[in-house]
Amino acid sequence: MGVAFDSIGFKASLCDGCGDCMTACSKAKGGASRISIVPGAKAGTFETAICRQCGDPKCVQVCPSGALDKDNGNGIIGWDASKCVDCLLCTAGCAYGGIAVDETVARVAKCDQCDGDPACVKVCPTGALEFRKAGTIFNEYGGKEDLFVPGLSGCQGCNSELIMRHAMRKIGRNSVLATPPGCIPGMGSVGYNGKTGTKVPVFHPLLTNTASMLSGIRRYYDRIGRKDIVVMALAGDGGTSDCGFHAVSGAAERGEKVLYVCVDNEGYMNTGMQRSGTTPYGSWTSTTPVGEHMKGKTQDAKNLPLIMTAHKCRYVATASTGYMEDLYEKLDRAIEASFEGFSYLHIYSPCPTGWRIPASKVIEACRMSVDSNFNPLWEYTNTRGLRFTHSPDNAYPITEYVKMIGKYRHLSPDQLAHIQAKVDEQVALLKLMAAESPPPQAAHRAPAGSSTPAGAESSQPARREIARN
Amino acid sequence: MNKVSTGKVIVCDGNEAAAWGACLSRPDMVAVYPITPQSSLVEYLAQFIADGRMDADLMDVEGEHTVLSVLHGAVLAGARTYSATSAQGLAFMFEPYFRTPGLRLPMVVSLVTRDAVSPTCVWGGQQDAMTVKEVGWIHMYCETQQEILDTIPIAYKVAENPDVMLPVNVNHDGNYLSYGVARVELPDQAVVDAFLGEKQVNWHACLDPERPMAVDPLTGGAGGIGPSMFVKYRKGLCSGMSEALRVIEEAHADWGKRTGRYWSPLIEEYRMEDAEVALVTIGSMTGAAKDAVDEARLDGKKIGLVKIKTFRPFPAARIAQALSKVKAIGVVDRSVNFGWNCGPVYQEVLAALYALPVRIPMMSFIGGLAGADITVEHFAGVVDRTFRLAGGEMATQPVWLNEND
Repeated sequence: MGVAFDSIGFKASLCDGCGDCMTACSKAKGGASRISIVPGAKAGTFETAICRQCGDPKCVQVCPSGALDKDNGNGIIGWDASKCVDCLLCTAGCAYGGIAVDETVARVAKCDQCDGDPACVKVCPTGALEFRKAGTIFNEYGGKEDLFVPGLSGCQGCNSELIMRHAMRKIGRNSVLATPPGCIPGMGSVGYNGKTGTKVPVFHPLLTNTASMLSGIRRYYDRIGRKDIVVMALAGDGGTSDCGFHAVSGAAERGEKVLYVCVDNEGYMNTGMQRSGTTPYGSWTSTTPVGEHMKGKTQDAKNLPLIMTAHKCRYVATASTGYMEDLYEKLDRAIEASFEGFSYLHIYSPCPTGWRIPASKVIEACRMSVDSNFNPLWEYTNTRGLRFTHSPDNAYPITEYVKMIGKYRHLSPDQLAHIQAKVDEQVALLKLMAAESPPPQAAHRAPAGSSTPAGAESSQPARREIARN
Repeated sequence: MNKVSTGKVIVCDGNEAAAWGACLSRPDMVAVYPITPQSSLVEYLAQFIADGRMDADLMDVEGEHTVLSVLHGAVLAGARTYSATSAQGLAFMFEPYFRTPGLRLPMVVSLVTRDAVSPTCVWGGQQDAMTVKEVGWIHMYCETQQEILDTIPIAYKVAENPDVMLPVNVNHDGNYLSYGVARVELPDQAVVDAFLGEKQVNWHACLDPERPMAVDPLTGGAGGIGPSMFVKYRKGLCSGMSEALRVIEEAHADWGKRTGRYWSPLIEEYRMEDAEVALVTIGSMTGAAKDAVDEARLDGKKIGLVKIKTFRPFPAARIAQALSKVKAIGVVDRSVNFGWNCGPVYQEVLAALYALPVRIPMMSFIGGLAGADITVEHFAGVVDRTFRLAGGEMATQPVWLNEND
């Protein structure tokens, strides 16, 4: 297995050219900024010039004095001032403008990622800069055993397989896994005629009794002192929110020590894309079709994770495969919480087949679902309340999300306005909840909403208008 | 050796007797949800656990569907389990109930039998248990409070037999037995422990990281090994049922040796030695029926009775043999088979008698629905009508015993 490194990511569509990152970098490094924001090719757009910490660094190759060197431990290309002969060949070798002369000291300067906590990222007001820790995830878990066989038969582009493989790599063999009827067993995880696709104990509960069977398993293992087993579900949204909800609610009320992961693809996709209680308003499904008299689903989705907070679960969180670092952190917390009480993780997982999204666009759709506040990312604990883990401010208009997805192709302006209103309403409610929650840690306030006074009218999220060309 | 142990004597109703039977069988987990007329049974269990008399995890859950579902999980993890329900509870439990035999999960669930809604009612009858007779559970029907208590450990012994590995319903009539009070002898715990031995619940299918396996993958379909594999599982269940006929007899004999109480394991033949006419009964009605048989005998009528204890698997050969020499048979049911306009036990006996070379006239009597009594007088009428049947007075319709009450 190779090694991967964390990196500073730049999302050009969110950058407004404010330059705060450069100011912060200058201040942190005591000289010229190592990051530059420059006008893009199209008017009103911006690009960045910053060291990519290349895997095959040209700057290192051209350096005659050995002053530049890639650290294979953390991936950072370091510059040794004592060896540098100031020839500036590196500035010509780098195609990205990642190393440049700091005029204040007349020597080259480059980004060193501030020891894993980049100053520029911290001050970016729009979220255009991100410190992406996927490298850490890869290094930590890439070598761990994949607990599913190769060749599960999920649809192309489906994120459920990603969720399953990642989750079980993290959880490991000391686990019992329920996969109720749906896409996850449908792709062969439990198996067919005596063969299985899973290396841990796995079973089909009924669609309706997943949380109940898990309760029985967990209680017995606790009784005989085998308390370290992760007893968990990878369940769909239909069985969780509709016919199996009594079981989920009951197990949560009893505080059963179970990890319940709901993979939400907004309907009964495995059986042919029928509507569920979590199907959003306006969606085409095979039971909410579009015709002269019907234009998709006429009811709003039930907000299952929010319902679970009302059960005072030990842990509740929403997550998206568009933000794997966030998902990984939440998986850690959810697993830990499942040894103390009911732990509920709701992962949004678009269905390329049923939602009519090209397989290549699924992750983009995931990201836009979060960035438009359609699926806000937050977490809740029974002692610390609710906090956003991704800022709901500066959200894209909902049109930017729904235009990526074929199941919304028919939406009228009125339907779009309804969806936008509901999204705003939901975020306002979450902000109120976050505002009234105690800070998660003394030194770390919730990034958004925490400044809203308790009981105050919540303002509409400041929506970012997209530059249209 | 095999010294008969006499335990403590108490006076209790049938629900408490069932709770004692469960307590003495030492289940690891008891899942409960209240329903009339079962409620006091689960209250007794909860109290036993609260008092420390019973060492089991009490799962107070949100409905019968979950009652059986938590027990599915617990058995697959290795637990001995118990619960009880009635009527609508059984109906709500049906989805996991339907699945239990196919997973070959050995568990014991009491059915405190009750007539099923609608018409709305909360009183005894066997419509609930009879409605689920084809699911693949073993069904044992009890006549007395003592038989309830004794049958529960026997049921565990049967369920966990490696040749059987099936769930067992131990059924007792709502109202008449659930609330009726009688003298009951509690066996010593040591006697029950020795009788049951180590539990054997999940050697065949388990959810244990130390023995990883996929439990219940998709099976069947039209291609490859699917059809034959599905048949293999279905035939295996039938084989477990057939084996149970033998194992039930062995378990009752073993229990008798240890406690001195020998219950008829499959059917009981009462005064059948020279009987010309026979009644067939099931459950608690049998006491009144035996009284009616005794009175008829005093009048010189040669009548006997066959009580069905084990209804699933159906002891067809035993029944055919027991009834082979009579001239007429009256079968009394406490529930209705709507499709055949008769009682379900009647229909079963009819099928069993097909094995005989002669055709014996039979009649269906239906009584005791929704808590109604079937009195000795009712049975006297049954005796009378069955003798007339023997004399050639045929019937095309069932007789509803409480129709004119």
